[in-house]
Amino acid sequence: MITFHRSQIIGAEFLDEDTIRFNGIQEDHIYGMEIAMEVRIGDGEILKIDGNMKRYTNFVCPQAIPVLQTAVGLSLREEGWDRTVMREIGRKGCEHFAEIVIECGRCLDQALMSRDLAAAVKEDPTLDQDAYLSARVT
Amino acid sequence: MTIKFLRSKIVEVEPKPDGSLAVSWRLTDDLLKAEVELTVQPPELEILEASAKLERFLPQGGQDAADIIEKIEGVSIGQGLRKIVRGLVGGPDGCPLLAEAVLECCNAVILHFTRPGIELGEGITDPDEMLAGIRAMVQTNPRLVRSCISFQDDSPIMKGLNL
Repeated sequence: MITFHRSQIIGAEFLDEDTIRFNGIQEDHIYGMEIAMEVRIGDGEILKIDGNMKRYTNFVCPQAIPVLQTAVGLSLREEGWDRTVMREIGRKGCEHFAEIVIECGRCLDQALMSRDLAAAVKEDPTLDQDAYLSARVT
Repeated sequence: MTIKFLRSKIVEVEPKPDGSLAVSWRLTDDLLKAEVELTVQPPELEILEASAKLERFLPQGGQDAADIIEKIEGVSIGQGLRKIVRGLVGGPDGCPLLAEAVLECCNAVILHFTRPGIELGEGITDPDEMLAGIRAMVQTNPRLVRSCISFQDDSPIMKGLNL
């Protein structure tokens, strides 16, 4: 029998040419949290963030919701951005919120590549997808 | 508005009849499919076995995932784990994705042990008794101190604990 299970789902929508919105959900046997955040594609800056704490372990946990706003202005292109998120959102707020924000951040480049690959395949269904993506990362 | 990219990630812990813990981590998204399997042996929480499989568009180090992941066999889940795992599995010659996967597996093992204590506290309705229960948990788990807003020095939980 499974004694601990965590599921994380991150979805990315492109609101316009320079804005991406991530919706992140994390559910496990103990915690239930959601994050919605908008990021400027050009420089990776977090423009807007909201969090919803559905299940938590003690009465202080919800005080971490306003702490999320310290992420606004942070760039996902800065060296060590994930450590900054864990320190400022996680340690000073909620580690599980930070985990979702970090996963959203890790999806930024992947979402851009996925969007562009889909567009390229639409243009050319015979496209060598591996070659296309390799060229993107080198 | 349609989603242009979707990532699903799952980590599970399953106790086996021999006392070990089987940890399964899976990720799937538009570009990548990845799986990590660990066998962890209590009480030292030593990682006895580790395997990994990556498919679709592979990230840095993805081609060598099966070899890279074996480097964490023999490591125990405990102090300094992040540095050890990132040093062995991540870095410029490793696979950072696998390093993070291993750390998420290890975190799941810790939460597997945390869950029963939290469930015990759920039956308590008296606020003072609840607070005493949380404080007792912090005293037996010093790693919680200053780990989040609940356990910062100015939190009502921490006041008077002198930790």
